[in-house]
Amino acid sequence: MKRRELIRAGVLMGAAAALRPPRTMAQSAAQSSELTPAQSGVDASKDLAAPGWKPLFLDEHQNETLIVLSDLMIPATDTPGAKEALVNRYIDLVLAAETPETQRAFLNSLGYLDGESMRRSKAAFRYVSREEQDDLLHGLAYPRTGSGWAGDTNAVPDPGHAHFEALKRRIMTAYYSSQIGERELGWDGAFAHGNYEGCEHPEGKHK
Amino acid sequence: MNYAAQEALQQTYDAVVVGSGATGGWAAKQLAEAGLKVALLEAGRAVTPKEFTEHMPSYKLKYRDHSPEVVRTRPIQKQCYACMEYNYEWFVNDLENPYSTPPGKPFTWQRLRVLGGRSLVWGRQSYRLSDNDFKAATRDGYGDDWPISYADLAPYYDIVERYVGISGAAEGNEMLPDGQFLPPMKMSCGEVLLRERVKAKFGHTVTIGRAAVLTQNHNGRAACHYCGPCERGCSTFSYFSSPFTTVKDALSSGNCTLITNAVVSHVNMEDAENKARGVTYVDRATRQVKEVRGKAVILCAQALESTRILLNSATREYPNGLANSSGTLGRYLMDHVVGAGASGRLPEFKALPNANEPRRPNGIYIPRFRNTPSSSKHSRFLRGYGFQGGAGAEFNFSAEGYGATLKNAVKEGVHGISLGAFGESLARRDNYCEIDRDLKDAWGIPALRISMTHGDNEAALMEDAGATAAEMLEAAGAKDIRVQAKVEMPGMAIHELGTARMGSDPKKSVLNAFNQAHDVKNVFVMDGASFVSSACQNPTLTMMAVTVRACAHLIDSFRRSEI
Repeated sequence: MKRRELIRAGVLMGAAAALRPPRTMAQSAAQSSELTPAQSGVDASKDLAAPGWKPLFLDEHQNETLIVLSDLMIPATDTPGAKEALVNRYIDLVLAAETPETQRAFLNSLGYLDGESMRRSKAAFRYVSREEQDDLLHGLAYPRTGSGWAGDTNAVPDPGHAHFEALKRRIMTAYYSSQIGERELGWDGAFAHGNYEGCEHPEGKHK
Repeated sequence: MNYAAQEALQQTYDAVVVGSGATGGWAAKQLAEAGLKVALLEAGRAVTPKEFTEHMPSYKLKYRDHSPEVVRTRPIQKQCYACMEYNYEWFVNDLENPYSTPPGKPFTWQRLRVLGGRSLVWGRQSYRLSDNDFKAATRDGYGDDWPISYADLAPYYDIVERYVGISGAAEGNEMLPDGQFLPPMKMSCGEVLLRERVKAKFGHTVTIGRAAVLTQNHNGRAACHYCGPCERGCSTFSYFSSPFTTVKDALSSGNCTLITNAVVSHVNMEDAENKARGVTYVDRATRQVKEVRGKAVILCAQALESTRILLNSATREYPNGLANSSGTLGRYLMDHVVGAGASGRLPEFKALPNANEPRRPNGIYIPRFRNTPSSSKHSRFLRGYGFQGGAGAEFNFSAEGYGATLKNAVKEGVHGISLGAFGESLARRDNYCEIDRDLKDAWGIPALRISMTHGDNEAALMEDAGATAAEMLEAAGAKDIRVQAKVEMPGMAIHELGTARMGSDPKKSVLNAFNQAHDVKNVFVMDGASFVSSACQNPTLTMMAVTVRACAHLIDSFRRSEI
């Protein structure tokens, strides 16, 4: 059993113990699950980089689409992007543990990209050119707020933008919570950075 | 069962204290240090600094603190920001600890069962009440006064503040008495600007939060090192939590026996003498039922939990719950109303967020300015609200767009400012808890049915708070101001109060002015259940001061052999 599976087994045993009265034999399992993995010092940061990684929830097409999308959303610049941060793997992990409704909502949003791409370019999103992908995303990235003509109101929902935002939210969470993402924000990895000094400007001269 | 626990059951203690959180810790400390023999019962396990995770980056967590698994066992607890992938085992398992609510009246009950209870994860904001609160009924005609005044409690606030270590600034505000403060934490530039402009335009006070976080070494604990996430534990014990302070003192006195995993079900009575004999508990791990005897029983289990124990202790003499001849036990449940505030950005400042800055575990506070002695009576509501908030540079995770533009915009950041209100929750008889006869917890103990709604007054407070928050942010020069003025479900403030209220009239209250049950003289409730009104200040400091005062009285009673 791998460590990850062990932890999962521990969580399941804890949940099972919660549902029926613990007995003497179950007691040690119940007691040991009373620390979170973090409180027990488990470091899961390398799990997603394991060789031979396979998605738990996404199929191959969905996984590849997510990689392409995440690379467009947060590309490598002078710093690494979402692809290097393996955001697809993290999102897959979280989705595998999510409720069916949440899983379905995510696949709907991802599927919307393919639908739009098929409509425009007769091919799924991951197969069209970078320019076509960019055009498509640009059209979804900003909410349509109405042209101001009669009958056109701001209240009209914009499903394309909503799908974009849902996907973007997941990708941003995955990226900025990764070690690469922490470095992107400039974090030096230390927890103490001296006293909080606050505002030191004279009154009326705050910058 | 360990050796200490076996010993524990064979003797009669002077006092059995139920609960080891903010108030239980104080009760154990005060009584044990006065020479009384104390049994301290905690429903959860012990806690050690080895399980603190405040210095663990989230990328080391399997789900990086977004674990959907936490929600499975703790769907209610997860509504609390402090219940996270790091520490969720400190919070109760909702499957093991059910309660019910009537249709259409949701109530969220967030609690811990571990040594120290919620003091491990609390918000640390520490404010005194004033006579505007203790005598509020006299001033505006609503409800009841407390049976104690500010002068009665002030010396005990002093004791608690000196021991706990409260950092804060004296302001001379009529609604928010000053205390024994350690040096205040500093304000950010945006906060100073808000303070200056709000004072100039409205006359209101904006002060740094008064926090149970040390700004200098104090009582053997180190000053805060500004790492940020207190709710994951503190390896330098810089914020106040009972296991490493009051409980530790109680144990080192040699007069206190700690019994962990003791889920108390009820108080036992000697009916002929109308006295409590002790309590019965279920061992959480072995499920054995045990009794602990004591000359006095002190409930510090948290307002609703202490009341649940009394309701589950009904006898022939007290068929509606122990010490409930008044019929007020379980009634007058309160929780500060939250859900209103405003946020925006301060364009006068360069944002430039920095991941390597000290993280201040504290914000700003605006004391109540409605219905005060120096303001006119408000036409639409009684009482008032205070604000907590803050301003500073943040990474802009809600930046628009995508691609390299998005990546840069996140780092460019935004200088944000926000205020959120905590409003007084009026004591109303029809907000109550009772025993749900059809529901038991995992240890077979009848569970609570909690019935509470916020009323028109609370809604009017929140509506006004949204408007005044926006006005103040505007005065500070904020742009893109977003206003919120809703009423969150009760329980969201995690400031449950009332349900075993104090009072001078035994027909209208459960406890006297010393937290002693009117009906049964050796039963005490020393937690937030005793509050007569909620005020709008965070209640823990007052709960601790009330406990220390009640303990002083109890120690005197022992010396006079009255107990």
